[in-house]
Parts: sequence; C-alpha cells; structure tokens
Amino acid sequence: MTHSSLLGDLIDLNEVLDADRANELDARRQRDRRIGRTLQGQRNKPIRQLRAWLHEMDRAARRNTGTQGARLYHTLGLALLLAGVLTGWGLASAVLFYDGKQPVNIVNAVVVLVLPQILLLLVWLLTALPVRVPLFAHLRGTFGFLNPGRLAGRLAGLFARRETQGLATLWNPDNAAVLAPAARWLFSFWSQLFAFGFNIGVLTGAVFLITFSDMAFVWSTTLTVSNEAFQQWLTVLAVPWSELFPQAVPDAELIANSRYYRFEEGSLSGGLAVELGQWWPFLIAAITCYGLLPRVLTLAFSWYRLRHHLRRALCNLPGAPELLARMNSPLISTLAAEPEHAMQFAAAGVAGVPHGQAQYALRGPVVDWSGACVEAGEVAARLAATGIEAQEFLPAGGRRSTEEDRELVAALCRSKPEGVAILVKAWEPPMLDFLDFVRGVRRQCGHRRPVIVLLWGGSDGVSASDRDTWQLTLGQLGDPDLHVEAVGRPA
Amino acid sequence: MTVPVFAIVGHPNKGKSSIVSTLAEDESVAISPMPGTTLENRGYPMAVDGDVLYELIDTPGFQRARAALEWMRSHAVSSVDRADTVRRFVDAHRNDPRFSAECQVLTPILDGAGILYVVDGSRPFGEDYEAEMEILRWTGQPSLALINMIGDSDYSEEWNRALGQYFRIVRVFDAMEADFNRRMQLLQAFGEIREDWREALHRALRVLRDEHARRRTLSARVIAEMLVRMITHIRRRRVAPDAATERVRDELLKAYREDLANMEPPCRTEVEQIYNHRNVERHEPLVQLLDDDLFSRQTWVLFGLTRQQLITTGALGGAAAGGVIDIAAHGTSLLLGSGLGALAGGVSAWLTSDRVANIKVLGHPLGGEEVSIGPMRNINFPYVVLGRALLHQRMIEERNHARRGPLDISRQPVQSLVDVAARRRFEKVFSRLRKEEGYSADLVASLAALIEKQIERQTENRTKHTAQ
Repeated sequence: MTHSSLLGDLIDLNEVLDADRANELDARRQRDRRIGRTLQGQRNKPIRQLRAWLHEMDRAARRNTGTQGARLYHTLGLALLLAGVLTGWGLASAVLFYDGKQPVNIVNAVVVLVLPQILLLLVWLLTALPVRVPLFAHLRGTFGFLNPGRLAGRLAGLFARRETQGLATLWNPDNAAVLAPAARWLFSFWSQLFAFGFNIGVLTGAVFLITFSDMAFVWSTTLTVSNEAFQQWLTVLAVPWSELFPQAVPDAELIANSRYYRFEEGSLSGGLAVELGQWWPFLIAAITCYGLLPRVLTLAFSWYRLRHHLRRALCNLPGAPELLARMNSPLISTLAAEPEHAMQFAAAGVAGVPHGQAQYALRGPVVDWSGACVEAGEVAARLAATGIEAQEFLPAGGRRSTEEDRELVAALCRSKPEGVAILVKAWEPPMLDFLDFVRGVRRQCGHRRPVIVLLWGGSDGVSASDRDTWQLTLGQLGDPDLHVEAVGRPA
Repeated sequence: MTVPVFAIVGHPNKGKSSIVSTLAEDESVAISPMPGTTLENRGYPMAVDGDVLYELIDTPGFQRARAALEWMRSHAVSSVDRADTVRRFVDAHRNDPRFSAECQVLTPILDGAGILYVVDGSRPFGEDYEAEMEILRWTGQPSLALINMIGDSDYSEEWNRALGQYFRIVRVFDAMEADFNRRMQLLQAFGEIREDWREALHRALRVLRDEHARRRTLSARVIAEMLVRMITHIRRRRVAPDAATERVRDELLKAYREDLANMEPPCRTEVEQIYNHRNVERHEPLVQLLDDDLFSRQTWVLFGLTRQQLITTGALGGAAAGGVIDIAAHGTSLLLGSGLGALAGGVSAWLTSDRVANIKVLGHPLGGEEVSIGPMRNINFPYVVLGRALLHQRMIEERNHARRGPLDISRQPVQSLVDVAARRRFEKVFSRLRKEEGYSADLVASLAALIEKQIERQTENRTKHTAQ
C-alpha cells in the first residue's frame, strides 16, 4: 500500500462518505454489514476494511477524484524536486564559479551551501515539534508561508475544480480538525523533497564543476586566526566522516598552503593550483553530511509522518467511524417482515348531534350491552335528559350467550317499540359481535325504527375519539336510522 | 432450540399495536383508534444478522369471541381435549369470513406461540373480556398478561385480580412511555413464561443492550462531527477591492448563518435514524449565532499570500539575489547587495501587488480581496449547540416508536452542562477548535467520548431523579 494510493483513497472516501449521507441509514446499515461480513478476517484492520469498502463502492460508481489528487500530488512533488535540483545547481555554479583568476573561498562556499541549510533545518525541527508550544506555533505562522510545500499546496488549489475537492480536500477548513495534521506533513514532505533536490543539485553542480573545470580553493581571514586553530575547527566539522573518509579532512599542509594572504592575485603556479584543488573532498563531504543526509532523514521522517497521519485521517474522517461500526456490528432487525395491510375506513358516518343536544321521545326498556350500566340510577337520569325514559335495563352481550341475545331481541321487537336504545361502554370498541347484535335488532324490528346506540363514558365521560370510533364503525352498516349518542358529561 | 414466538392478543384498540411498535421499534405499525385496523397477523422477527432470536406477531384480536367459545364448548368432549377443540375450531372455520379474526389470532398460538394478552388498565375490567380469555386458556399455551396504561385513570388493581385468574404472569406496561430499561424488563419477563425460551431471550437482551450502547456512541460521534464542523466553519469570498464592506459583510453573514443552520438538521436526522425513527416531525428554532463580530477582511495576493507576506517574500528574494552579488564581491560590498536587494524586492512587491492580483492563471485570479466569517469564536456557542443536540438525542432516545406526534424541541429547556469538571474538559477541545490549532485526527473522537459520557451522566441523573 503506497501512501499515494492512501492519499487517493482518503480523498475518495471523504467524497463518498459525504455523498452517502443522503442515503437512508437503514439501507446503509444493510449494505455496510453485508460488505463487513465479507471482511471479517480484517476486523482489527480498519484501514483495510475502509479501503475494501471503498473499492466495493467504486464498482458501482467509478470515480477518479482520488486518482487525480494522487497524480497531482506526484506531479507537484516531481516539480518541487526538479525546482530544488535546478536551484541547487544554479547556486553551486554561482558560488563555485572560478575563472582561473580568483580562487573560490572555501569558507564562503561552505557558509553559503551548508550553513543556511543547517539553520533552515533547525527551523524545520522547531516547527515539526507539537504546535501546542505557542512560540513554535507563532514561528510557523510567521515563516510557514515561505515553505515551498505550502506554495505547492496553493498551486494545487488552482488545479482543483473547487477549493474543497481533490487534493485541496486536505486543507479545506471544514475538514481541518481531522486532516490538518496530514496536510501539515504533506507540506513538510514537499518542502523536504525540494530541499533534497536542492542538495542533489548542489552536489551534482559541484561535482560537475570539479570534474570538468580546474578549481582552486583558498581560505582567508582578517582576524588573527592561526592555521592550527582553523584546522581544529575543520577537524571538528569533519568528525562525522573523518573515520570513513580521512582524505576528506584537510591536513595542516593544505591549510597552510591555501591561506590566501600569502599569495598575490593571479600568481598561482600550476603545482600549487593542483594542491589547492584538494579541498573538494572536504566540500563534497560537508555538503553531503550537513546538507544532503539531514534532508534524506527529514524527507523520510516527513514521509513516515505523512503516511501515519493519512492512515489516522482515513479512520477519523467524518462518517468513517460510523461506517466501521456498521460494518463490524451485527445487523439487528426488529422491523416487520412484510408491509401492513391495514383497513381503511370510509368516512360514512351515522346520525349524531353534538354532545348534550340530542332530544328523543322514547319510553321503554334499554338494552345494557356487556354490563355498561353499572349505576342504573345515574344512567337513567342521564338518559332522561336526552328524552329517553328507561323503564328497565335488559342485559345483553358479555357473559350471556348469543342465543340468549337472539331471544332478547325477538322478545323486544315483538312489543313493537318506537325505537331501540342500546347502552354501550364508550371506551370499548364496537366489535363485530355487537354489530351482529345491531343487525339482529334491525332484522327483527324492521326498518325505519330508530336504533339508538348510547355511549356511556362512566366517570371519565365520552371522549371525542371514542365517539368518532363508534360513529365511523357503525357507519359501515349503512343504516340511516341508526343513531349514536353520547350520554353523560363529555370527557 | 425453538425460536420464541409471541402472539400479541387482546381486544381491538387496547394498545396491541402500540406495544408491538414500541418493542419492534417500528413506526410502520398502523396505530389507529378504529377497531379492526389490523386485518391480518403481522410478524416482527428480531434478527441478528438474519438469525432470528424471537418473533412478535401482531394479531387483529378477537371479534366474535362469545360465538367462538360457544362453538368450542358445544364441541368439546372433555376438559383434557380443549386445545384440540380450539384446533378443530380453527380447522373448521379457516375459510369462514365470520371467524376470520379468531382464526388469525389462534393459528400462531396453536403453532406454539406464547400469548401476550394486552388490556387497557386505564379502563375498568368488563365481562366482555371473559370469553376471549377463556379461549386463550383453552389453548394451553404459555401466556403473560400486559396491563397497558393508555389513559390517566388507573384500574390496574381490578385488572390484576381478573387477569390473575387466567394468566400466570401479569405486568403493567405503558407502551407510550416505556423507556429502554422497561422494554428490556418486559422482554425478560417473556423469558419467564417458558423455560426453553429463556436462553434465546437472554441473548436477545444482550444484543439489544449492546446495540443501545452502540447507538449512544454513534449519536455522540455524529454530534461531535457536527459541532466541530459548526465551530470551525469559515465562509470566504473573494471580492473586488472596491466592494462596499457593509454590504459584503451582511451578505456573508447571511450565508454563514444559513450554513450553520443547515448543519444541524442532517445531524438530527442521522441521530433519529440511529434510533430507528424515520418519520419524526421536528419543531426546532434555528440556532442563534450569539456573536456577529466574526468578520474579517484582508488583501490576499499571489497564491493566497497576504500583502505583508508578499512584501516579506519579495524582500527575502531580493536579499538572496543581492547576496549573490555580495559573494561575487568577496564581501567587499559590505552586504550592500543584500540590503538593496531586500529593499528593492520589498518595495516592488508592495507596488505591484495590486496588479499581480488581477492576473488570471487557468481562470483563477492570482489575487484580490478576501473576506471571511468564522471560525465561531463565541465561547458559549458550542455549549448552546451541544445543549440542543443533547436535548434532541435524549428526546429521541426516550421517544417511543408508538408515539406519532411531532417532536417539539422548542418547548423543552435546553440542558446546561452544570458539571464544572465536564465543562473544563469540553473547553479544552473547544478552545483548540476556536483557535484553529492543536488539530489531530482523534480530536473528534475525544469530543465524541466526552459527549457520550455526558449522555450517560444525564441518563444516570434522570434515573436517580425518577427513583426519588
């Protein structure tokens, strides 16, 4: 797994997760668990799981934002490397310029080609430290814009269709909390790539000049510095390679012979000029040791940190932990296996007037359905208010058999009442058993005789919802002389 | 091991469907005051990766229980063959529309389902229930009675006495108000009605508890992601250098407000879907910014560098070029080359920056004015957003799937994070977000962990409060 493909997957995953939020969670659960179950062997490898998931999604919709981002990352990296090489070559050519008249001051060469790099390396080390140290954060804010990696980042923005797409996803402010560390190390990697190229350029430029031109190095100072002291400094400087390449450590004779004040300009004899050229191993070793090698290390470190943060970012992208949870958690289903076939009632009501306004002139027995009439006195009083005089309550439904009900209806209808009143518990729904009873009454007593279903609400009264329920259900009988009335106080 | 199946039986309109809806977390269950809404049995299997642990069956309820019982009594030979008599009844009336409801109810029970008999405890017991309870007793299947408290009145004692004569276990359960723990207690009670169902139900309980914890974790994560997005959000716009600041500011502020307002609803929907709520009608006021002083205007030139940065770059570039001259002069120029180069580079950058800004590369202007709003620096803003999100999460977690009304968040007091220690921990994360520093990939995870703890702590507080 290369980190460029990791980068591409990060860009794609961010895009896919963002788009996936529009899908219903239930559909996502089922899909992700299905994919997750095929990846059970990688349960503890979230990155592999996420990438496998992404590739599974990619089968459905091929996208190339990530590929383009990775390509741009490579292109900019290569451009920075080349820019570094050219800059290094150019600087080396300028610093090591020798036309046979003025020898190259080895101190100048080392100072220009190595010292700034050491200083910049120290700045890099400071800024590579955790940003929570305020001074370092301030340093980055002040000098960060000079980072060639950041400049490359700005360039990348020019190639993105939108500032939040492709490689620019990494420094989109909305993703900063998760992706900022990865972006930071991407810039660092790019800048170290530039620095690495710079050192390669300096070295190749120097080697080219040394190989194809006759160079002479000298040193000089206006200060009172003895040759021995100068040699001591150089010996200290050359400690890293003195064991490995002793010929790259200038000896006392070379130092003494190349001290510049001893010569008059243009008076270098051929033999001395050859000897003064012997500074080049020291120069190359110094550039390699203090320029190239540290940059190789910082480049490798930046690459490692970039990879590390890309991996962490992949698992922490908005929606990624949720996705992993969906993939690795059992899919729990409690929903109905099939859609419901519910009855839709037609709005065919039965006659009824607002509560307390009904007026009848009915005198006779009242059918007490399923023990609705618990307190006969109170019920009778309430019925009287609606013009119904209950001479007696005849029990039906409940514990009585259907045969007893039939006999009751037959006896009731034989007396040819003006109408039939049936008292029911308003809170109990009208069952088909009751509807059978009402149909029996209608059949036995004949049409056009009012059948009044009286809803008794007990101490709680009759709720509007109970009243609607009864009216709507009894309305299904299509009986124009069937009435539903609430008795007692409204709920 | 047989899969436990429970047939939910009872009078129509007494909360059977509400109980199913609550236990199955299914909003598609038709809950209607009209009796006979449920025409056919409907199964609600509780499955883990397709492996069914138990199943609830919502039945239409008895419609002609008296007539059915009369038939059974007239066909029963002795008390020992009552279950067979019930079976004969179903066989005889399978295609009889008159007893369609009875056959629907009895078929799963005769196939081995346990009986969950539901009554409304807020209404008095009536003799019209006796016939169906007697039929259920005749089936000989394990059973449990649930007193569902639909209204305010309480007749549970009366019902307890009546149901105790027919059912071994009687429980009071409010389908509309039951929280997760009560639902779990009820499922545990299901395991008591038959010994060999206990293991499957215990496994189901474990799975559901794990899922409950996972839902909190996921909700906390979703809230954390939204919070981070809202706090760190920046609205930028490139404008002409002569654009009126007031107008630009107002337009940008409006767009910023809209951005923030649009970030909350998807988070709410996601949390609702985590808890299997798919059709919640939500009433919630838009979040307030609390602070309008978020506007900044700066010149940006060349790849986003500010004018000051560009001058510094120019000066450094000039100094480097002058330095080459100093080197060529072997230092005899006394760094004059570097000094003059820096001056020339800086001044030319300062003078030409406006012209550079107007140059276009690949259709993009190299520079111009950039105005921005954000990130949200108001110290109270994250707590307001978090409070709203926690309140919504709590309401959703407590909301029963039997409830179909709107979720009115506006009427609820927003929770405050009174715990000083918790606030301190939150502030550490929020200040990093506000200052746009200290970002790390696990910052959201840390915030999510804090939010999850907060959710748990608030649940504990509520439990204590309820217990008191």
